[in-house]
Amino acid sequence: MKVFFTILVCKILRFIGKLAGKGSSLPGQIALKLCPDILSRVKLPEYIIAVTGSNGKTSTVEMIAHILMNNGKKVAWNKEGSNQIEGVTTLVLNSATLTGKVKSDILLIESDERFAKYTFKYILPTHYVITNLYRDQLTRNGHPEWVYNAIKDSIHDGTQLILNADDPLVSCFGWGKKDVIWFGADKLSSDTDELVSVYNDGAYCPVCKAPMEYSTHHYNHIGHYSCTKCGYKRQDTKYTITSVDLDKGVMEIDGKYEISLALKSLYNIYNILSAYTVASIVGISGEKIAADMNNYVLKNGRVITFKLGSREGTMLTSKHENSISYDQSIRVASAFSEGCDVMFIVDAVSRKYFTSDVSWLWDIDFEMLNNPNIHQIVLAGKYVNDLAVRFSYTDIPSNKIKLYESIDEAVDYLNSDRKEYIYVITCFSDKGKFLGKVNGD
Amino acid sequence: MKLLHLYHDIMNLYGDYANVSALKRILEQSGEDVIVDKLSFGDIADLSQYDFIFVGSGTENNQKLVLNDFKKYRDSLKAYIESGKCALFTGNSFEMLGKTITDADGKSFDGLGFFGFTVKEQNKTRMTSDVIYEADFLKTPLVGFVNKCGEIEGNSALMFSVKLGLADCENSQGEGVRSNNLFGTHLTGPALMKNPHFLEYVAELILGRKPETAYLVHEKAGYEITLTELTKRMNES
Repeated sequence: MKVFFTILVCKILRFIGKLAGKGSSLPGQIALKLCPDILSRVKLPEYIIAVTGSNGKTSTVEMIAHILMNNGKKVAWNKEGSNQIEGVTTLVLNSATLTGKVKSDILLIESDERFAKYTFKYILPTHYVITNLYRDQLTRNGHPEWVYNAIKDSIHDGTQLILNADDPLVSCFGWGKKDVIWFGADKLSSDTDELVSVYNDGAYCPVCKAPMEYSTHHYNHIGHYSCTKCGYKRQDTKYTITSVDLDKGVMEIDGKYEISLALKSLYNIYNILSAYTVASIVGISGEKIAADMNNYVLKNGRVITFKLGSREGTMLTSKHENSISYDQSIRVASAFSEGCDVMFIVDAVSRKYFTSDVSWLWDIDFEMLNNPNIHQIVLAGKYVNDLAVRFSYTDIPSNKIKLYESIDEAVDYLNSDRKEYIYVITCFSDKGKFLGKVNGD
Repeated sequence: MKLLHLYHDIMNLYGDYANVSALKRILEQSGEDVIVDKLSFGDIADLSQYDFIFVGSGTENNQKLVLNDFKKYRDSLKAYIESGKCALFTGNSFEMLGKTITDADGKSFDGLGFFGFTVKEQNKTRMTSDVIYEADFLKTPLVGFVNKCGEIEGNSALMFSVKLGLADCENSQGEGVRSNNLFGTHLTGPALMKNPHFLEYVAELILGRKPETAYLVHEKAGYEITLTELTKRMNES
């Protein structure tokens, strides 16, 4: 009776909340108050797939859902991105019958990396994908080793781990375990022998802290590593990116499936690979997955094309306080061989909490923009001075850089008869301030 | 002039390296030739040949590893500080200068013992905040961010009084340490970059004369904006 009542309340609240345009955590929060162990009292489907990690969770989950649903599976997933226990509770109860049976083939959960340990106390995932661990919102999350410990507490016996073999810290979760499924990339044409990054989070072995060596870097500290002392090393992968051509925008998985990329970034190919891995495990054929991922455009609003007067551009939503997210976007712009202008906006560091911290700007590799493909750089927002100082420590000529504290004035400046494509790189907290001034798709 | 960035590849969690970049630039702008040495584990530095030493923030694990290596500098660092030369330790690196650090499992690690404070870590919550700190040797306060998991008790060599944000521990209004021209603070990241007046102060100590500061236009403007934002925040709470 308690289960029935709790689910009913959650469904009603969610229904009203949706009409009012509210988020999806409150119904779950109230349900957990009414019945704290509600999640362990509902009947869950055969597949419970969880995805966590610093970057790419939302995109990966969206892709997995897209493939599975396209292939006739019924999927319950948290597409609103409420990824703490309350949001997951709303998701589960809203997908359940009033007698407490989840009506889907697959429950797909994007989980916040710090709160997974609470969520998975009640819901044991059958499959658990961990994408990567980066310096991400350190002001809120803590550093990667801190987050590693939090995720570690969320891993229980009976869960199949699916890990990114190319991330040395993530791979620690599977070190010494036999039944891990690894995904990753072979040496790629876009790889570098030397690290391209301001800092090196792969300098020391995460297991024994001796120096590590890399035979190849995909980006930052993601690549093929091995410890010089304890034997810790990148594992062979079962699901593999066998080649990529970012200029042409094509990737190949497992030596046979070619996928055209709507977004020519290394991030995107890892997200596609994670989705491919999960869909393969669920039993979808490689051909079908490749067809579903071919030219797939994310619907989560992270990549938005726009028109500004006669000019065209793309906004690459990146995360403030997350240098690798910025580095990835900068790589995309730097590789634009027809030449482009790039705009950065740092106006509100976060939309969820207040901070004035800009130390993360020093971890971003802006030097990559010192490249003939980049014509002008426009810096805007309240923290434009901090951006200007950061750029003054690159070798980028200062006459390429324009500064505007006002985002409106920066947009007016860009609304010119210049022909270059425009990349706008900023965060959720600031993107609306730009998109409100242009015609977005 | 010679600057030493110690443990540059492992104690560099919040862009701390930029403190060295800022100092290098102000010294160069003031007409000096500047060499920066970046050293780490296993290296042996002759501290006496440097004009400035910097160590930044690291993870709790890495701090303990570094502490083990760092002890070899106890005597030479003591002599360096007593000679009046400058050093800056940001984030949890300055904890190594105290008496003991006790980790979340209760294991205790001896520090260098330059100061009498003790550190007690926990592994449940990150203690983070934007901060405004005042120092008696600076006309305007410092701004920045603190990100730690330990409480510091028994600190009698306080450098800052806390106007906003986290202090050494719950019952303290003070933060950081100063001894001669050794500065230690839990301010993470590029504290000298973000606080151009602090940079100027440190540079003057190193140079023994007024440094060139006319170029610090955006640095000063950025500082003012952050101070305004944080002051607004402080008055709201």
